[in-house]
Amino acid sequence: MDVAARAGVRNRALFANFFRRELTTRYLGSISGLAWALVHPLALLAVYHFVFTQVFRTTGFAGQSFLAFVAVALWPWLAAQEALQRGTVSLGGYAGLIRKVAFPHEIVVYASVAATLVLQFAGYLAVLAVLRLSGEPIRLEGLIVAIPLWCVLAVAVAGLALLLSALQVFVRDVEHVLMPVLMILMYLTPILYPLTLVPDNLRSLVAANPFGWLVGRLRDALLDGHLALQPGDAVAALIAAAIFAAGLTVFRRLSPHFEDFVG
Amino acid sequence: MSAEPVLLRLAGVGKDYAKVESRGGRLRLVYDLLRGHGAQHVFRALDSVSLEMRRGESLGVIGENGAGKSTLLKIIAGVVKPTRGEVERHGRVGALLELGSGFHPEYTGLANIDLAAALLGLAPSEIAAKRDEIVAFADLGDHIDDPIKNYSSGMVVRLGFAVATALAPDILITDEVLAVGDESFQKKCIAWMEEFLAGGGTLLLCSHGMYHVQKLCRHALWLKDGRVERYGAASDVTQAYLAYHEEKSASAKAPATPAAAATAGIYAITSLALDPPERIAQGAALTVRGDVYTPDGRTPVVLVGVVRADGTPVYGVATDMDGQPPVRVASDRFAFELVLPALALLPGKYFVRAHALDPEGVRLFDHVEREIIVTGHTRELGIVRLAHRWNGAEE
Repeated sequence: MDVAARAGVRNRALFANFFRRELTTRYLGSISGLAWALVHPLALLAVYHFVFTQVFRTTGFAGQSFLAFVAVALWPWLAAQEALQRGTVSLGGYAGLIRKVAFPHEIVVYASVAATLVLQFAGYLAVLAVLRLSGEPIRLEGLIVAIPLWCVLAVAVAGLALLLSALQVFVRDVEHVLMPVLMILMYLTPILYPLTLVPDNLRSLVAANPFGWLVGRLRDALLDGHLALQPGDAVAALIAAAIFAAGLTVFRRLSPHFEDFVG
Repeated sequence: MSAEPVLLRLAGVGKDYAKVESRGGRLRLVYDLLRGHGAQHVFRALDSVSLEMRRGESLGVIGENGAGKSTLLKIIAGVVKPTRGEVERHGRVGALLELGSGFHPEYTGLANIDLAAALLGLAPSEIAAKRDEIVAFADLGDHIDDPIKNYSSGMVVRLGFAVATALAPDILITDEVLAVGDESFQKKCIAWMEEFLAGGGTLLLCSHGMYHVQKLCRHALWLKDGRVERYGAASDVTQAYLAYHEEKSASAKAPATPAAAATAGIYAITSLALDPPERIAQGAALTVRGDVYTPDGRTPVVLVGVVRADGTPVYGVATDMDGQPPVRVASDRFAFELVLPALALLPGKYFVRAHALDPEGVRLFDHVEREIIVTGHTRELGIVRLAHRWNGAEE
């Protein structure tokens, strides 16, 4: 086996090992852990439903059910948010390894992000199925578009997680700043409200949010059944790839120095 | 020997560590690193280290704490990227750095075996075949199913050594492994390393125990303040290293003694030398000579004793016991010389101590000691060889 092939085998084996560990210790280690992964978004969905349809009595969902409208968008957001938060601090959990063994550190971040996204995607499918069975207007054929969209999201999230995790090694505040920033971003993204409710003068600003674009595409596909590809899809894929490349570049610049600062 | 392929070559290798104190300093460091500049404030941990190892060689790395040994081993293992110089590595490197050798504290022993195998690039099928062997060598019983964080340091080393050895690396790097672990496991490790070397394995050993370096390594490298102080045959380098320590401890004591003696007006040993100086073959003659200071011109009593490295006294004798007072060489100075014609000590590390006592041989004022290693091959047990014979044995 030549050096590159051996390294490839090793990196795959490491990814599989870390990925398994992330899943087992975080979610499957306890029954409640797995349940929480599903219960948390479900509870949020229920609360939002209560607040927006019972308290504020918001209308203007273009005749769509609020539950279906929010569920389709909320899950990818929570998945991305959790993947970013866990990915940012993932290197700390492998400090002992980073200090003593030579291996590509980005595998740790990939495994952390992948474990979160895979699990959340499974939850997404389950919720879509349940909503569909209970009569909500979900178009399951929309998954043909939704799955590639999740892949684009995964690439972008992985790139951001690489960037944030590398910075986190040196500057511990990253993790603490991330939480409120994500919270604010969530409310600035048309997840809980349709873009049409945003005042005209602000609409173009909110619409410029790439995640808002993703949410819109998911709704088009899963609620309205629009399955055709759009020129924007290619742009989004390019943006995601650029985010990933930037994240990886920063990560590789900093990773030779992790050994001295991690932990 | 030179026909063997080169497994490892370091040329002018150096490593700087960034020094940052404040949070702002860390931001600044990230900025510098991202721009591709080095850090601004650095600590030079290692500088201009060059070495070469061929298959089947064994190299011991010695030096004081903070000399850069661990940094060097980390660079060789690939964990640390050198700031300067080139590292060329061929073959699989197995490293036991400090204790853990890259274990994950939350994993169980078994899960860590799988992790270590994955890190070395073994396929799951390959590791399955090795797992029983590793478990047997580590000999941890049921603890193999416990998380590593609950292990004692000795247990971690056992598992680390078992893993590093079972995975058949081309180069094995061990850092102070032999300092931990109980005696029987140490012996097992040494036996394994000897076999590994005999079978053509390549070993890089870092140890404070000169004994291990001398026993296992053909070459040695002495690091001092991040630079190579000496690199060559293990016996030469370890002797030079021991001599350096000898001088260091002597110079730490010697200036204090005459000055203190002069002001405090006490009897003091001002010099002490052994002949041969550091190592002596079992049964050879050992000469202990030195000078003793007297504050009042009277003849002091000198007591010379031998203690084992752990402090157990073996034998002691004073000038007044034998009626052989030291010889006056100056108004305030006396010389003494003691010969032990056939040293009965069994191989090992000992200290020779000289004490200065008042002329009455009652009050003990000062002592100076020198380390000596008795060499030899014997299976006898204990500290000294007692005169003996077996009666009725057949010729």
